[in-house]
Amino acid sequence: MSLLGNVARSLKEDVVNVATAPVRGYRHGKYVVRGLRNGTVRKRDVARSAAATLGATAMMAVLLFPVYYVTTAAFTGSQTLQSTNGVRLIPSDPTIEPFVWVIQESSFFDYMYNSMYVATFTVLLSMSVIVPAAYALSRREFLLRKKILYGYVLLTQIGGGLGIATLIALYAMLSNAGLTDNKFILACYYAATAVPFNTWLLKTYMDGIPVSYEEAAVVDGAPPWRVVLEVILPLSKAGLATVFIFAFLAGWTEFVIAQQLLRAGNYTLPVGLYALVGRYSIPWSQFAAYALMFASPIAFIYLFAQRYIEGGLSFGGMEG
Amino acid sequence: MLDTAGTHFPFDSGDAWFLLVAPGLLLFSLFMVYPVAYLIYLSFTNARPRNMFSGDEQFVGGPEVLGVTLPLENYTQLFATGPVLRADVPLWQVWDVVRWSNFNAEFWNSFGITWLWVATSVTLKLLVGITIALVLTHELVRGKRGMRALAILPMGLPNIFTITVWRGIFSTANYGLANQFITYSAEKINAVIGAVNAVFGVVGVEVGKLAVQEVSWLTDRWMAFVAYNVTEAWLAYPFIVIITVSALQDVPKELHEAAKVDGAGFLTRFVHVTLPSIKRPVMFASILTAAASFQQFLIPFVFNEGGPGRKNELLIVYGYRQAFSKDFYGEGAAIMLTVILTIGVFMWINVKKGKLAEGVDSQ
Repeated sequence: MSLLGNVARSLKEDVVNVATAPVRGYRHGKYVVRGLRNGTVRKRDVARSAAATLGATAMMAVLLFPVYYVTTAAFTGSQTLQSTNGVRLIPSDPTIEPFVWVIQESSFFDYMYNSMYVATFTVLLSMSVIVPAAYALSRREFLLRKKILYGYVLLTQIGGGLGIATLIALYAMLSNAGLTDNKFILACYYAATAVPFNTWLLKTYMDGIPVSYEEAAVVDGAPPWRVVLEVILPLSKAGLATVFIFAFLAGWTEFVIAQQLLRAGNYTLPVGLYALVGRYSIPWSQFAAYALMFASPIAFIYLFAQRYIEGGLSFGGMEG
Repeated sequence: MLDTAGTHFPFDSGDAWFLLVAPGLLLFSLFMVYPVAYLIYLSFTNARPRNMFSGDEQFVGGPEVLGVTLPLENYTQLFATGPVLRADVPLWQVWDVVRWSNFNAEFWNSFGITWLWVATSVTLKLLVGITIALVLTHELVRGKRGMRALAILPMGLPNIFTITVWRGIFSTANYGLANQFITYSAEKINAVIGAVNAVFGVVGVEVGKLAVQEVSWLTDRWMAFVAYNVTEAWLAYPFIVIITVSALQDVPKELHEAAKVDGAGFLTRFVHVTLPSIKRPVMFASILTAAASFQQFLIPFVFNEGGPGRKNELLIVYGYRQAFSKDFYGEGAAIMLTVILTIGVFMWINVKKGKLAEGVDSQ
């Protein structure tokens, strides 16, 4: 419970930070204005800072334009956006029709159920093999330990590419076994691909927990399962959260393998999204609405989980 | 390492801890190691959908060594479809040898475009990423923290989503954003030219107007290649930004202050203070990002399936299409193994140069 509590607390912190940003901005502005009047803040510094901030904001606007573009497209009623009067800041005739179409007429929720099924089993399976392995690799010495770790590190960055490269063999293998159109097998596959990177990630988190904590618990007479459950797991919550998110996203967003293996009834959301593009030769606003409903929850999770994910990405030998 | 002597851990006898790692290892091997082994076998055979599922695939022919036929035809066919050196063409006429021999043009084109792609996309990603990181750590910019959180948003969006959106942006139809932008800018420029002409027309000077033309992004080879690059840069810059920003934040402020006091300008400080401190992380990031470029599949696949024609097929797309569009599973397997071997070398460099495995030895 304390794990969930901690996650909730940092989420709350983030939300409060975002919500109070305007207030802080206003206070800072007031401070600057007063400083200018008193002469404690130089005009030149304010002007330079304002120019730099404006430049950075312009850069951000260019960078995020594709996201903005697809958002406005989703709120535009016209089917094809044939008009050439350019992109407007706010669509001239906003409508939620495309969203209604996605909810009522597309198979969005069927595909979402499939995605949920796949992602849930991906998380369950991968966590159940990754957590014990990470603990053993971090805390114990045993046969082949170093070889396995080296192997996992070698494999960390090639997940996607290796998956596509072996797709021919995987497809042949599963076809022979009659298992191609099977969501559970797909989840097993995603869990398998998640093993090297996430085991390594969680192991590095656990390396940071002082051994003395564990020893103290052992001296107090705690049985081993309690040591792991009450000392190790709570202390590696950041690592667990990262692994959870990565495993979930692997099941939720993977496209190429799912597209090759699944048939219409079992499509996951990414495959359904791509099928939409092919079938209707991009009904742009409907596609945009569909895509936003698929992508924005992930984007929000990502924005809030960023501090964990950044920690995860700078794993190993990153210090200059 | 915990001292387990005298405690009641279930696996007191050391090596039994391997049992905790075994399930993950088994799962991984079942879906990754076994397919690779099967892929190696397939690459020696004439496997196609019609013979493979009935188990009738056979080893292909190939060069003979000591009376044994090595089933390497899938590999030799990749490099050349027949004897490369011909008796009737003298060896010193190199160009003729290349022109007249039986090189497999499709494979070599794919091979060449893959490396060109790695070179251009890595350069672009690094330039864009480092520039953004420098702006978003600059002392004068307000609200850096929030901007940084937003800037790495592309990383949190599903690839199939972003890549399909970019395909819409580069759409050849007139609602494609890239074309709208070009049309719009050209109209504005022409308006200015028109105004200039109106003023200078009296003295008989006339400036020609720009011909407004939509670019057929995805049906023109090099335009498609440019579109791939722009998209990849947009998808991958957050990774470079994260690494560069954390490196920049580690640079002691005093160093910059001291350099400023000594009268060093912006450029001097950049070259002598900033650059040395971010060099190693950026080097490391470029190796990783080069490996990512090499494995890029979705951009060419979604944009135009490596087209127009088969001109922009990166190796991994080439292998995929040989297998799943042309039904040559054996040849596809040979191509994919070439890819895996190359990525293997990448990762080897990665682990050695990037010291990724540092934590393995330290205990």
